[in-house]
Amino acid sequence: MSDQTTHQSELKRLETLKQRAELGGGRKAIQKRHDQGKLTARERLNLLFDPGTFVEMNQLAESQAVDFGMQEKKVPGDGVVIGYGTIDDRLVFAHAQDATVLGGSVGTIHGQKICRIMDEALKVKAPVVGLFDSGGGRIHEGFFASKGVAGMFFRNTAASGVIPQISAMMGPCAGVSVYSPALTDFIIMVQGQSQMAITGPGVIKAVTGEDVTLEELGGAKVHSEITGQAHLVAKTDAECLQSIRKLLGYLPANNQETAPVAGCQDDPMRMEPALESMVPADFRKTYDMRKVIACVVDGGEFHELLAKFARNIIIGFGRMEGRTVGIVANQPLVLAGCLDVDSSDKAARFIRFCDAFNIPLINFVDVPGYFPGVKQEYAGIIRHGAKMLYAYAEASVPKITLALRKEYGGAVMAMCCVGMGVDQMLAWPVAKLVVLDTAAAVNLIFRKEIQAADDPQAYRERMIAAYDHKYSNPFHAASNMLVDTVIEPQATRPELIKALRMLRNKERPDPFRRHGNIPL
Amino acid sequence: MTDVKAPMPGKICEIKVDPGDTVIEDQEVLVLEAMKMEMPIVAPAAGKVESINCSTGDAVQGGDTLIVIA
Repeated sequence: MSDQTTHQSELKRLETLKQRAELGGGRKAIQKRHDQGKLTARERLNLLFDPGTFVEMNQLAESQAVDFGMQEKKVPGDGVVIGYGTIDDRLVFAHAQDATVLGGSVGTIHGQKICRIMDEALKVKAPVVGLFDSGGGRIHEGFFASKGVAGMFFRNTAASGVIPQISAMMGPCAGVSVYSPALTDFIIMVQGQSQMAITGPGVIKAVTGEDVTLEELGGAKVHSEITGQAHLVAKTDAECLQSIRKLLGYLPANNQETAPVAGCQDDPMRMEPALESMVPADFRKTYDMRKVIACVVDGGEFHELLAKFARNIIIGFGRMEGRTVGIVANQPLVLAGCLDVDSSDKAARFIRFCDAFNIPLINFVDVPGYFPGVKQEYAGIIRHGAKMLYAYAEASVPKITLALRKEYGGAVMAMCCVGMGVDQMLAWPVAKLVVLDTAAAVNLIFRKEIQAADDPQAYRERMIAAYDHKYSNPFHAASNMLVDTVIEPQATRPELIKALRMLRNKERPDPFRRHGNIPL
Repeated sequence: MTDVKAPMPGKICEIKVDPGDTVIEDQEVLVLEAMKMEMPIVAPAAGKVESINCSTGDAVQGGDTLIVIA
């Protein structure tokens, strides 16, 4: 009998190895996941990518560790599936951790595979999506495993601001693994089944005696409302993957390109008389700024991010004439629209992301100032507020600011006014642009006159009205070029679109990378 | 049990519910005047109004419990 290898014999070997790899932790483990309502790594990738386009890489890589029974425990693939495919016909790279293999733990090969796919993505300058579902570093591989994890962080940072990086948390993740997502641009968490924490409940209990579950510590609600780590929350695996597809649709493939232009059925010159009734001229009354945004963007579609964190500021993507825009807007409903520590961080990082990826910025302003209080001061409003100033001043994408109502004090710079490099400063006729709230200004300037008056209160009120009439309005600001154009509220959409069209070819310095997207 | 808390110091302008009322999440339950604006305060979760711990015209601090919903 001949021992010679044939095509057939080796194809059979390949088939066997592929089947082993594809089973991951085995049929029972897969069934358990399905029973829990979770999908396997490959099922997730098949939903993420356009059907039939996913090409797997390094499927047969396996752990090289020899201690602690690893040679018996190891599985081809080493607990992560990497590869590439298309999403809406655009090339995207991905890695998906397989929690059925050793808990999805990161061993040296596992880590190397993720690094490998990131290297490929950087070579061809296409986005990377990470589907995280891992207990953390693989203890059985000891310190060696840390090289893989460190390699991930190194590449997340190298890729930051060069290619979009999106992370989905689809299982419990603790320890060093959560820092890779934290270095990426956006995180989406699956409600109820994913958590992120640096030190888990066990360690916390041992050190501080606090009793807390992983969900209470770092579930989707915590990260979307308290920490601001989770930009979006999905109810299921499938919804999460759809969410990633949708988000990628707003973004370019890399920092040398612009986002794809979508079709637009919405008349660019659409007038919207409803804006006047939507936004009260009486500044004491509030309104939902999101309704204003929805009125203005294509088809009313506004993709809000971090909707429940620092709700006093609104960030997100919309389209104008089919082209992606980044929107930053104050929310008068929350904290009267004041800026504070968290909203400054939230806005600053978003501004820098848009700047890194050639996305124009539109700012809708109705801001009375910074939120006062010892708490804010001690929390470092100076340091955090400065990030927003820096981000706007540094941004060289087209910047258009529209003052709807209040433009008061120092917050005016934080919302990108003339002098901060804004390209077009627009204002509604009812807007008030002042350095100090009129009443306070009048109290200061006319202190002596008020005291001397027969009826100080009446005198004060007369002066406030006169001051407002003469100085606070946008016509006064426009007279000295601190407002470019005063526009009719109903013409907001056409005016913004005209400005965006004009700024389309705005000249910008063209480095390999403008700057990264450091977590702020 | 959820508490409707004052998000910032201010004055109670208007209370829009009575004890015993059923409320849904995000329903406006009172109006707070703060930073020269009348701001709607909403129920953080659905439930029944158990008690109202403030009156119109009261000055309140940030964090004060204004309404208790069970």
